[in-house]
Amino acid sequence: MDKAEYMKKAMQCVVDADEDAVEKLAHDYLDDGFDPIEMIEQGLSQGIRKLGDLFDRGEVFLPHLIIASEAMTKAVKILEKALPEDQVGKKLAKVVLGTIEGDVHDIGKGILVTMLRVYGFEVFDLGRDVPIAKFVEKAKEVDADVVGSSALMTTTMVGQKALEQALKEAGIRDNLTTMLGGAATTEHWAAKIGANFWAESAGDTVIKLKEIFS
Amino acid sequence: MTKHLTRRGDGALIEMTSEEIMAALEAGSEDAADKGKIAPLSKEDLECLLDIFIDTNKVVSVEQGEEVVVTHDIGTLRLMGDQGNSGVGIPLGRVQGIQVHERALCADTMELGHIDYSFKPVKPVIAMEQQEMENALLSTVIPLFYGAMPNLGTYYSPDGPFGNPSDLLPAGKVKEAYEAQEGAVEHATRDMVYVGEKLAQVGCDGINFDTTGAAGDPDFKATLNAVEFLKKNTDLSVQVGMAGEFVLGMHGGLEYDGQRLAGLYCHDQVKLVEKAGADIFGPVVNTKPSKDMPWNLSRAVTFVKACVEVSNIPIHVNMGMGVGGSPIFETPPIDSVCRASKAMVQIAKVDGL
Repeated sequence: MDKAEYMKKAMQCVVDADEDAVEKLAHDYLDDGFDPIEMIEQGLSQGIRKLGDLFDRGEVFLPHLIIASEAMTKAVKILEKALPEDQVGKKLAKVVLGTIEGDVHDIGKGILVTMLRVYGFEVFDLGRDVPIAKFVEKAKEVDADVVGSSALMTTTMVGQKALEQALKEAGIRDNLTTMLGGAATTEHWAAKIGANFWAESAGDTVIKLKEIFS
Repeated sequence: MTKHLTRRGDGALIEMTSEEIMAALEAGSEDAADKGKIAPLSKEDLECLLDIFIDTNKVVSVEQGEEVVVTHDIGTLRLMGDQGNSGVGIPLGRVQGIQVHERALCADTMELGHIDYSFKPVKPVIAMEQQEMENALLSTVIPLFYGAMPNLGTYYSPDGPFGNPSDLLPAGKVKEAYEAQEGAVEHATRDMVYVGEKLAQVGCDGINFDTTGAAGDPDFKATLNAVEFLKKNTDLSVQVGMAGEFVLGMHGGLEYDGQRLAGLYCHDQVKLVEKAGADIFGPVVNTKPSKDMPWNLSRAVTFVKACVEVSNIPIHVNMGMGVGGSPIFETPPIDSVCRASKAMVQIAKVDGL
């Protein structure tokens, strides 16, 4: 099999969430002496990106996305074994994420957590209904590069403004990228409260973070 | 170039030229057509929408003779609720709330709803709800529904007996998440049937399954099961209103009558609601707050028009905060609400709001 065909098959295995096939493909690819990084970036990542698009269109669903991301993670681990030590496990950035205080709508945030991990970010998921102080505490503890919050209600999005203020008061705001999302939020809201950016979807967040940290 | 005042999806006032409005209308309709695999609006429909947007009157309406039925979900709480509940904070009892809607606000139907507005917490207070419904029925003449949400979230931890799919799925426990959701479907169906039968006993005119599908495809499946049972075994009229424009695939494999539920848009949802036996369907199209209102309304009208065209039961489209082309705002501005309503009646040809 030539490299192009490996890439095509890797992408399809992820889209199909076929764990066994993608693991075998990763082994065969290494046995043929190809570059592991290329398969991660041009094969597997393309697959998860396509899956993200299909998810956004309502053509695949949450469990499928989870199984596919697990399949991809397993394939990445196999490929990483062939990498020089200094390239293994290298994360793009540390991201602290949570649904803002008072808000329990976290399905979208859960999808984002999965996608960010697949794309090589180290994610600290604080869950839902997260007190402002907990965001600050975690960001300090892990020396976060990014703090992200989601709000699905107009009554809870004010918490995102309080978070910006709390990060400033803790003296760590200038060292961070802050991002926000959720159905009630807009880019205008992000600009108004001083967040670095707003993202419309999990896929949009990944693109914007990769622009900053790749 | 003349600029017209309109709104962004978050309610902010913005100005757009006629050309900009028409471009947004076309793009919004194309987005719906692409996602729903349905026809975009015709040139005539888009021009009609443009006329609605550039009308200089703050308030617009339909022509005489084109009026449709207007009803309210959770209306008994709308007046007493605070802003967090899109209410106005007037301390009124629930029966008085219904009477105000009937006699002062000219609602054509109304519903009684419990403060928790979910079927599960109604069970322990069903006797109180029966009595309140009886009191409301004896002092009003309009048809009265009982409204609540299937809300399968109340069956998952920490509020219910099953594991929470939102925790199980990210942990990779897909099988456990499937089982939890399938168990929740059984419990929710049982509870909705119980509440429905008890209300039918006191002469309630109908049940409104409101915000159906909020917890994804299991939520929709439980509702369809309950509708089917109640239509076969009681005289209740049944309305099914949705939570969002498409059914979220939290499970992904659940079916009703051989049709997969996840990913269905309103023109497919209504066919299953019809099969289950419901009498009225309330489609929802979500508003994107970052997009302008012409884009949002054109998109919403495209979806709802396709739904109306295939439906054999009346379509009472959900209109209000964050749905049906109206902005996401606790009390959506009247200029946007009336424009969205006019478009739904005149272009999508809905039967009610």
